[in-house]
Amino acid sequence: MPKTRPFFLNLIRIRLPVGGLVSILHRLSGALLALAVPALLYGFMLSLRSPADFERVRGLAGELTGALIALGLVWALSHHFLAGLRHLGFDLGWGEARAPARLTAWATLAAALLLTALVGLRLAS
Amino acid sequence: MRNVGGAHRGLNLWLTQRAGALVMALYLIGFLVYAWIAGPLDYAAWHGLFVPLGAKAASLLFVAVLLVHSWIGLREIFIDYVHPIAMRLPLSFMFAVLYLGCLIWTADILWGVK
Repeated sequence: MPKTRPFFLNLIRIRLPVGGLVSILHRLSGALLALAVPALLYGFMLSLRSPADFERVRGLAGELTGALIALGLVWALSHHFLAGLRHLGFDLGWGEARAPARLTAWATLAAALLLTALVGLRLAS
Repeated sequence: MRNVGGAHRGLNLWLTQRAGALVMALYLIGFLVYAWIAGPLDYAAWHGLFVPLGAKAASLLFVAVLLVHSWIGLREIFIDYVHPIAMRLPLSFMFAVLYLGCLIWTADILWGVK
């Protein structure tokens, strides 16, 4: 190993392997969800307070901004959940070889997007 | 002086993070089934989900685990990106207080469902 290792952190030019992408998105989605907790609790409180407030919360998902926020959270939860299961598997020594690790990384990315798309279709209909 | 900012509690928190993840995954799956059985969720049905004491207790436990899991995750992010200890510790502390407040709020919401 050379004594001075190359230091290269141009984020635009780094080609992250797919496992790295899933990992950084796991962190990003986790941060989003963690910061959204107070807002989600507020929505939860409204949804249980009265029928009118319940409808108000439901109506938010019918507006464009509300729907986009809801879909962002659905994606974050799906990705964080699935990538988390994948990482739990690694902790137990499952799927650590190069080929299965890449496969489950792609599957995680795809499944989270697919779930988000399904919820989006449901909201649009 | 004692090192207060490092990752010396790493293994404890690492394990807590994973145990919490499993508890939350089980609750979420269980809750989806519970809500699905209750049928189309209008206000009455949604409200009714949280009337039984068991549902209140399980939901409060879920939120408690969620808050601990969130706090550990944020702490890891702060350790990676917020290097000055004089900024990082207050930030971690602020979220601890915020989340403790959220837990009390959750208990209030859940036990307000009569």
